[in-house]
Amino acid sequence: MKKFNIAIVGLGGQGIITMGTVMKDAALSSELQDVSGSERRGGAQREGYVETFVKYIFYENESEMSSPRKNMHSPMIESGGADALISLEPLETLRGARYLNKNSIVIFNQTPYIPISVRMGQTSYPEISFIVSELRKITENIFFYDFDAISIENFNSLTQKNIIALGALFAKTDIPIDITAIENILMEGKGAENNLKAFNLGLKL
Amino acid sequence: MGKSNLFINGTKGDKAIVLGNEAIARGALEAGIGYASMYPGTPASEIIIALDKNKKNVENLYTEFSLNEHISLHGAIGASWSGIRSLCAMKNVGLNVASEPAQFLSYTGVKAGLVLAIGSDPGAPSSSNEQDDRWYSLHTYMPILEPSNIQEAKDFTKDAFEISEEFSFGIVLMAPSRLCHNAGALYFGNLRDRADIKGDFKKDPENYLNLFNMAVRNHTKYLERSELLKKYLIESNFNQIINKSSSRIGFISSGVIYAHLMETLDILGVYDHKILKLGFTFPLPNELIDRFFEGLDKVVIVEEAEGFLEFQIKKIAYELGFKGEIHGKDFFKQTGELTIDDVIIGISKFLEKPLPAYFDFAVKKDKELQNNLPQRSGTFCIGCSHRATFYSILKAVGFSNTEEKERDVVIAGDIGCYTLGLLPPYNAMDFLTCMNAGLGIGQAISIFDKKKKVIALAGDSTFYHSGIPVLLNAVQNNVNILYIILDNSWTAMTGHQKTPSTQKDIDGKPSPNALNLKDLVKSLGVSYVKSLDPNSVKRFASQIKSALKEPGVKVLIAKRECVLQEIRRNKILKKNEAGFSESGESLYEIQKSRCVKCNECFVELACPAIILKKDAEDEADFYYIDPASCVKCGVCYEICPNSAIRKVEFDLKPAFKLSRKNADKGFNAVQVNVNV
Repeated sequence: MKKFNIAIVGLGGQGIITMGTVMKDAALSSELQDVSGSERRGGAQREGYVETFVKYIFYENESEMSSPRKNMHSPMIESGGADALISLEPLETLRGARYLNKNSIVIFNQTPYIPISVRMGQTSYPEISFIVSELRKITENIFFYDFDAISIENFNSLTQKNIIALGALFAKTDIPIDITAIENILMEGKGAENNLKAFNLGLKL
Repeated sequence: MGKSNLFINGTKGDKAIVLGNEAIARGALEAGIGYASMYPGTPASEIIIALDKNKKNVENLYTEFSLNEHISLHGAIGASWSGIRSLCAMKNVGLNVASEPAQFLSYTGVKAGLVLAIGSDPGAPSSSNEQDDRWYSLHTYMPILEPSNIQEAKDFTKDAFEISEEFSFGIVLMAPSRLCHNAGALYFGNLRDRADIKGDFKKDPENYLNLFNMAVRNHTKYLERSELLKKYLIESNFNQIINKSSSRIGFISSGVIYAHLMETLDILGVYDHKILKLGFTFPLPNELIDRFFEGLDKVVIVEEAEGFLEFQIKKIAYELGFKGEIHGKDFFKQTGELTIDDVIIGISKFLEKPLPAYFDFAVKKDKELQNNLPQRSGTFCIGCSHRATFYSILKAVGFSNTEEKERDVVIAGDIGCYTLGLLPPYNAMDFLTCMNAGLGIGQAISIFDKKKKVIALAGDSTFYHSGIPVLLNAVQNNVNILYIILDNSWTAMTGHQKTPSTQKDIDGKPSPNALNLKDLVKSLGVSYVKSLDPNSVKRFASQIKSALKEPGVKVLIAKRECVLQEIRRNKILKKNEAGFSESGESLYEIQKSRCVKCNECFVELACPAIILKKDAEDEADFYYIDPASCVKCGVCYEICPNSAIRKVEFDLKPAFKLSRKNADKGFNAVQVNVNV
């Protein structure tokens, strides 16, 4: 059995759940494939921490797929269990760092959204250099981009940043999913043209 | 992948990725339900949403977002007695409201199958408590099914209707948020022919009338039926013993925690112990447990919360005379969500195995990191009128976020989007428990603490849920209290279900039965009632101030539609009418030269669209309204004491492009009208 675990973190309203849904929908191409992964959605937790997991599972054979000791998968990723972490907010990358191990790949968005505690002057927002150095203590595979800026630059809106980040995931990791599988899902959904363009922008990063 | 089409048309052989909640709904559809209802509540909402949005294309399906859970479960019972298979969904605390019908359901039994799907919320990420509703069944006797994954969520729900009919019980289907909001592969089954779904209520006084000795007789009958169900469950496939070797150690688990357990054993490379997977966690047949105990010295029960299974299994072990050890809550915590991490740590300890190195490193590293991170909490959406309401309340009572003084007005909180007002920077609630506790508890506080004024809050959906009798009680007893109903016309928090206040649907169609809330409140005997736009914060704050001076029950209705719905509708209508949707006709901006960073907008109002930026040249911080997120509610414009915020209106938007790079230079494009 092969697995590929992706944790996606960020804030409510950033399109994290949509990202997870697109990735899971792309997991139906093979018979011996399974997918699991839960979302953490609050009620109206706008600006609150949100995470979603995507766990791709590839069975070696039919008997493995029907074995009760092999075919039940937690909806969560254990600490240190992610092959990749995508974060749409720099500070939240550190909150999601629990899922990292030394081989994990981190892709994060460098536009900060400051929490209320910082707004009120009670704490300070960490510098990007601090975030990177903390991540380096775990893994060397760190990529960060200004997904907000790329989205505004190309779409005059912030709404495409999640799909751009999704493209970056495919560019920077060995994710065992065909790019065309993702493109097919995007083509069937709402705003297909922009989403395909955003995905390809990410692929080129 | 055309999920919605597969959801209603899929047949055996089809496969799709669906949410746990959608899988439950699909299971009910495959079982041929004709009735589905709920009072919306996270994490269960999508169960009924999935059916409701597809009902036009499903023959003989009635769906309802009921006003509360008590009504919703009664509706399901009425449908069942009419011969219609019915599904009722609710969140964990919903069962408190529906506990009365739940209590009677075993007495009367069902006719057509009835399934009660409960979304539990361990860790309470979207609830005001994390109660484990399974304990209810010790006295309601409702059997409990706990699916572990997406496939079981569908299959168990479908089968639950048959079992419900065979043993005449309403069946509880327990789904924690980790299952409700898990997405995974689902293999569909066939749908039942729906043409013959027709109601026919047949009188059955022997079962449906509960009084005096008739109630006692029905009590006896359901205990007997429970014994019959236990017998059936000894051999049923819902409960499985996974046996492999001569190991003398056994694990017992159920639901999502079973999935954590199986993955844990795989991570730890442990494949040789006996496992009991419980699909039905109530009632538990002694014979099944006896069979599992055979050859075991040590058993550990892996479950969430206080240990509902451990409680039952220890009793059975006593009856069986089992001599081995039984563990559970000594290895697994009772509070908060039991995560896969907790299961890995608990099982390693139980088996005396070292933790995997990568896992141990990650857990330690995380502990070290979390201590130094600024906390983050959710807040209102940009443009949400609740933000304006809380700002107005705090201003009216002379309170500022940045001052340390004690607020001397009591603010009674309640359940809804506006609950977020209890978080910083507003800190504008003094207590929060269940639906409509605010006005109920607030009434007595106002009676006994004459020195403090009391303001109680409720959203429109919460008010209609069970607030009307509470308000009537305040009127009847002539209580001194200010009641603010935050009427945003929708049950917004759970995905915008209609309330009696909803005037217009999302596509602009007027609701035929829309209620005038002000008239309703008047008719309850409240003479002091005003309806105001909360976004006019100065006027609103002064109204709150004057209302607080009046005796008796005062009601202010903060009436403004949820901004998300307003924006969505405008987009739909504009697209339909003119074929364009992007806005850009006006924007608000902070003039750097006038802004003295007094923090009125940045900290007191704390709108997330107002952000801190650094000047490219002199590195100085300045406040800036992010045009990409601002929805132009205009509240910051109204409150700025230095008139530093101006409204800039544009002719049309064609060449206009938002760019953060130009932020500090201001927006000079095609400006025609500037209001300062």
